[in-house]
Amino acid sequence: MQGIIRTIRDGSGFDILLLGLALLYLIIFSAFPIVYNIIMSLQTVDMFTLTSFNRPFVGLQNYYDIFSQPVAGTIFWNTVKFVFLSIVFQLSIGFGLALFFQQDFPGASYLRGLFLAGWIMPALVVGAIWKWLFAGDFGVINYALTSLGIADDRIFWLSDPNVALYAVIIANIWLGIPFNMILLSVGLASIPRDVYEAAELDGAGAFERFRSITLPLMRAQLGAVISLGVIFTLQQFDLIAALTQGGPADSSNVAQYWSWQFSFQTYEISLGSAVSVLMIIFVIVVAAVYVRSTRHEHSY
Amino acid sequence: MLQIEIDHLNKHYGGFHALKDVNISIKQGSFVALVGPSGCGKSTLLRTLAGLEKTSSGDVRIAGRSVIGKPPRERDVAMVFQSYALYPHMDVEHNMNYSMRLKRRPKEEISERTRTAAETLGLGNLLDRLPKALSGGQRQRVAMGRAIVRNPKVFLFDEPLSNLDAALRVHMRSEIRKLHERLNATSVYVTHDQVEAMTMADHVVVMRAGVVEQQGSPLDLYDRPANRFVAGFIGSPAMNFLPATVTDNGALVLDNDSTQIGLNRDIAAGCQFWIGMRPEHLSLKPCVNDMAIDATVTGIESTGSMTFVVLEVASQPVVLAHSGRPVTRRGDHVRLHISLDNLHLFDRETELAA
Ligand SMILES: Nc1ncnc2c1ncn2[C@@H]1O[C@H](COP(=O)(O)OP(=O)(O)OP(=O)(O)O)[C@@H](O)[C@H]1O
Ligand SMILES: [Mg+2]
Repeated sequence: MQGIIRTIRDGSGFDILLLGLALLYLIIFSAFPIVYNIIMSLQTVDMFTLTSFNRPFVGLQNYYDIFSQPVAGTIFWNTVKFVFLSIVFQLSIGFGLALFFQQDFPGASYLRGLFLAGWIMPALVVGAIWKWLFAGDFGVINYALTSLGIADDRIFWLSDPNVALYAVIIANIWLGIPFNMILLSVGLASIPRDVYEAAELDGAGAFERFRSITLPLMRAQLGAVISLGVIFTLQQFDLIAALTQGGPADSSNVAQYWSWQFSFQTYEISLGSAVSVLMIIFVIVVAAVYVRSTRHEHSY
Repeated sequence: MLQIEIDHLNKHYGGFHALKDVNISIKQGSFVALVGPSGCGKSTLLRTLAGLEKTSSGDVRIAGRSVIGKPPRERDVAMVFQSYALYPHMDVEHNMNYSMRLKRRPKEEISERTRTAAETLGLGNLLDRLPKALSGGQRQRVAMGRAIVRNPKVFLFDEPLSNLDAALRVHMRSEIRKLHERLNATSVYVTHDQVEAMTMADHVVVMRAGVVEQQGSPLDLYDRPANRFVAGFIGSPAMNFLPATVTDNGALVLDNDSTQIGLNRDIAAGCQFWIGMRPEHLSLKPCVNDMAIDATVTGIESTGSMTFVVLEVASQPVVLAHSGRPVTRRGDHVRLHISLDNLHLFDRETELAA
């Protein structure tokens, strides 16, 4: 006993203890739910079999059922649009703002701090605010668009099936910009100033410096921000719940919300599991790309 | 022909006056060193020449044309940074030929000039290495290579050797000087090391707190320092200073002692001076036109070929340098012989040479 305590206090025992705690945490809170989820996606799970582990095994039947749902195609393309448009705009606006705040002007750091406001607010609150902004009859956005003469008529952002998805995307972009901006600002700040000065003396103009110095040196950060952005976007649930609940008629529904609807609204738990497993596979691919991209980090 | 003319140049950082009325003329082909203690504005002046820093007033002309307001790339100057500032994501070859690639020079010309420069600097077998895989000395040479492929009118160096070890520093000093001669370039070299400045430059500019204290050839500064600061800054070990006052009968007398220094100069009674003596103009043996004072040996340092003796004279420390091995020991009472031909006098009020 004495010996065990001594190795834990002074020797390699302490490392093993720390490692063990971390592993235990991962097994209980990550590995087990994921494995359990995968198992459920291969079984028939409903309200009655929910509590027992011994459920009928159906192979890939659940996956087949998902793809034969009439809305599957809509939801797939909605998810693709949701992720792609969110990332493209979050990234470009976030990068633009990061570059802008990199210029030294009075109050730059305070203004940058203000941008964090959106980030620290819960997505549900953000959703509620955007719901007011988007409101068809009293929303600020419609008021601005009509009084500026950009739109002739009011747009029913959240109840028009043609625009509901884009309304959610706009709110999600707004929500993601601070994250992109902060991470990219950190990356920009780590590029030494004199490297830019050397490039300036070598004859590079502002655009050329951006193309041949900033972009390559930001590769790792851009990779990280894109992959994390994809993961966060696929996790975005609260915003959809607050704004449209996937409606009207699934026109703004996306995979993660669909999975939740299966599991907790219609209690087709095995279908919900199958959707989430497909998403996990995709996220693993993205994460692998992310891990690879961090290998390209440069030291100065 | 004048390559660089700096004319009544001033630079303010907000309320801070970093360069005060700087005037320097630099001839084509000369090697100019800017020296001074840390924070005196050497880098600021260099960066102003490069166009990385805006001027507040005054003019800078390169090859006869004012460059005020012109961006760095229109000035045709190359700079070697203290940190080298290599592009971390480009290999040695691409680091060196970045400027030519920007100008879209023909491929053959680019590879030809990169190769020549790499060979000059002994980088031939490192062309495909990234900067992080190079030693400090190799990085320094890549930074030089990046400057020389451009074949610019003016080379600017900001303490390029300060990150190297002592032996490499001495080696690179002569390499840079040789390169300067071969390229027939005009170079401005910032250093806080006066030995580097003295050994490399044709023209030395000594700065303090944004002001040019004195400029001239290295030996000029050494023989005729204009003020106490320059006298103390140039030369190693530094010049000794002893306070002295002129008595009513016109004799110069050491303050803490009543020793009279027999100078035959016409000076007003009551004037207070610093007497400046270089360590190598002091001796333990009699020499021509000298005077002797009692001194005590308080320390001895020997490098083998040179010996530095720390003495106490009139309760002030004084360093003496002589060649060869030590001839005294700590605690010895000796006669210090001062060569009167090589004394410097500085007004204690104005610090200017008298
Ligand atoms: N961007 C800046 N804003 C305000 N003050 C500055 C700025 N850059 C330099 N200074 C000040 O100007 C003075 C000169 O700086 P400079 O870098 O030219 O010194 P230096 O002679 O090169 O010193 P060192 O030998 O330490 O490199 C310093 O007192 C410094 O604090
Ligand atoms: Mg400096």
